[in-house]
Amino acid sequence: MTSIGTGYDLQNSVFSPDGRNFQVEYAVKAVENGGTCIGIRCKDGVVLAVEKIINSKLLKPGANKKIATVDRNVGIVSSGLIPDGRHFVSRARDEAASWRSTYKAPIPLAALAGRLGGYVQAYTLYSSVRPFGVTAIVGGWDSEGELGVDGQVGTGPTVGAGGKIAGTKAGGPALYMIEPSGSYWGYYGAATGKGRQTAKSELEKLDLSSGSLSLEAGVKEAARIIYVAHEDSKDKEFELEMSWISSMDGPTKGRHQEVPKDILEEAERLAKKAMEGDDEEETTAPEGETMEE
Amino acid sequence: MASLLSSNPTLASNPSYSFSQAPQNAAAGNREHAFYPYTDNGGSTLGITGNDFAILAGDTRSTSGYSINTRYSPKVFRIGGDDETGEGAHIILSVVGYAADGTALKERLNAIVKMYKYQHGKRMSVKACAQRLATILYGKRFFPYYVTAILGGLDEDGKGALYSYDPVGSYEREQCRAAGAAASLIMPFLDNQVNFKNQYSPGSGVGHDLEARQVTPLPFHEVEQLVRDAFTSATERHIEVGDGLQMLVITKDGIEEKYFPLKRD
Amino acid sequence: MNHLPQAWGRPRDNVYGTYDASYLQPRLPQTHTQSPIVTGTSVLAVKFKDGIVIAADNLASYGSLARFTDVKRLRPFNSRSIVGIGGDVSDMQYLDRLLNSLDVTENYSSTGHSLNAKNLHTYLSKVMYKRRSDINPLWNQMLVAGLDGNDEPFLSSVDLLGTTFSSPTLATGFGAHLAQPLLRKLSDDESKVADFTREKAVEAVRECMKVLFYRDARSLDRYSIAVVTKESGVELKEDEHLEGQSWAFAETIRGYGRTQEV
Repeated sequence: MTSIGTGYDLQNSVFSPDGRNFQVEYAVKAVENGGTCIGIRCKDGVVLAVEKIINSKLLKPGANKKIATVDRNVGIVSSGLIPDGRHFVSRARDEAASWRSTYKAPIPLAALAGRLGGYVQAYTLYSSVRPFGVTAIVGGWDSEGELGVDGQVGTGPTVGAGGKIAGTKAGGPALYMIEPSGSYWGYYGAATGKGRQTAKSELEKLDLSSGSLSLEAGVKEAARIIYVAHEDSKDKEFELEMSWISSMDGPTKGRHQEVPKDILEEAERLAKKAMEGDDEEETTAPEGETMEE
Repeated sequence: MASLLSSNPTLASNPSYSFSQAPQNAAAGNREHAFYPYTDNGGSTLGITGNDFAILAGDTRSTSGYSINTRYSPKVFRIGGDDETGEGAHIILSVVGYAADGTALKERLNAIVKMYKYQHGKRMSVKACAQRLATILYGKRFFPYYVTAILGGLDEDGKGALYSYDPVGSYEREQCRAAGAAASLIMPFLDNQVNFKNQYSPGSGVGHDLEARQVTPLPFHEVEQLVRDAFTSATERHIEVGDGLQMLVITKDGIEEKYFPLKRD
Repeated sequence: MNHLPQAWGRPRDNVYGTYDASYLQPRLPQTHTQSPIVTGTSVLAVKFKDGIVIAADNLASYGSLARFTDVKRLRPFNSRSIVGIGGDVSDMQYLDRLLNSLDVTENYSSTGHSLNAKNLHTYLSKVMYKRRSDINPLWNQMLVAGLDGNDEPFLSSVDLLGTTFSSPTLATGFGAHLAQPLLRKLSDDESKVADFTREKAVEAVRECMKVLFYRDARSLDRYSIAVVTKESGVELKEDEHLEGQSWAFAETIRGYGRTQEV
């Protein structure tokens, strides 16, 4: 950063002569040190996973959740400043509720991502605020089934005006990542936080764009990727937290939920096994550190 | 104010109000109501005190017009207790009239008595609670809690204390009080049996020479029987009274609850 | 001295002239719902040994017009409670959305325990009492059926005035007059609930729906019925049809314009 020290990094919303907002770039730094988060968009659902570094043995295992639910069908996980992440989630919930009160239906993921992007972006515009110190991954499932509007009491006409069109396709999985600048993109696989480079290269190997990866397989891959990405900071213990959203006929029925304990443990077991396999191939020195909670 | 006056030639050229209670808008016509925010859920309550106890009782019927909503809807409550069960309470309250207001009033008083304990580290006296209840009721003077309340407990000397209220908070300490649908049936009976009204010492004379029978606090078992008789009779004569009789008895040992069936017709 | 307290402290008319209130806009009083428009009729519910059965027909009337015949008036809240709503249908829809948003926000805290039927009833009764106190009522009577905090059957009522009560059998509207006496014959005390089976309870409710269809002119022969138990949660059927109707008695009715044999 050549312009450091020239004063253009001391105030938010001010451009440097070469067109950068340094406060936003510093916010990205805060994210880069956060626990690794990933999201995978599978053919029949979305999985979110986060590496929670255990800073103290006095923390209760399984408490202090990092993945939050928004409305019923959306999950958000973020890297960076945890309180900023909480505020971000709170805003997402308000946006979802406000959408519902207007349209009497759940907010589509694309709309939610758009509103959140706009919200985060606004924090780059004023000198009185600082940008969000988080990069958030927003995953969800837009219902593919026909949902009535909220409060609907009847089924409505079957034919004619207001009747249903058979065979229309709607909904499906969605995954977005929103950065401190407010920019957001839709992804097949998203990663942020300390281990993002490793995680991204692992995600790229999965051929997600073909839409062939199932949710069940996605859960296992997500767990493995978090474990792989943790390799660079293996001196620290961590806990794996995962959530998923399936299609309406899948295990979560279109809702965002924690991955059940048995499935999570199985995925972790396979992840550890895969890691051991890698160790034998790549390094000869067995590592004494074990990856347990 | 100046701008208001300058925009109004009539007021600007004439002296205006010098106080802040000027009418803000012209008097509206009579308001027509299709929604009436009150109802009467029937039932009756009754409280009697003795030397070292107070009883509050109420029937458990709840009505809407000629219909019985339920046969078990308590009208007598513990105030200032620890949890839902009311364990540890030292005050009792009965409410009769519009049941939703009764519930709201009960919950407010209960919260206040508990807050008093948390903030001052001691129980609220029945006397203080009685005054506070009057203040709550009067606070809604212009949209009253449509209930007749009776508050019971033991006073500073350990004597039974009973306070009766009207819906807007007028109150007094009494020996006994009946309230609700059958108040007019029960109260004269109480006057005679508790305060010995129209009872005279036999052979004390005629006319002005008659000596009124001395009023003495009644023992518990007699009072309990009076309460039961009062409600049995009220059940016979009033259609909104019946189903069950719930009683809370407060003594130095705490609060005891009793329940007796009444006729369900 | 003016002896009218109303005049004390005010400028004297004989000195200053009468007050000219002409600039004050005569403001009409603010009005809210004065009567329901599209309405649903009775809701019935009965407690049995290990659960509750609740029913309501699928009709929404516009005055005496049977306007909507596919209206679901039993609204499940979560896996262990359901609300049956009578009265104004638009207010019912508002309540449904309110409960929906409550359910969404409740799930944000992942503490593992969710609102039970008793909590739900308390919530609804506060909503209803607040609205009546604002003289802006939600024109409904509701039965909340489900399981309480101890997974015991729970049944309670709340109406537009915020009045609440609970009983082993409950019925709103016309049902309070026609069905409640029949249901009380079967189970009129909390002690009787223990020997009241699910089959008997469902049968009794279905029979009452029939009685209501015979005698309530604002009722329908299509109805919804739900059973809530600890084992199976909420089992809701929304397109039931009254069976075994007999209109033979109608032949014997005299009056209402029918005066001679056909």
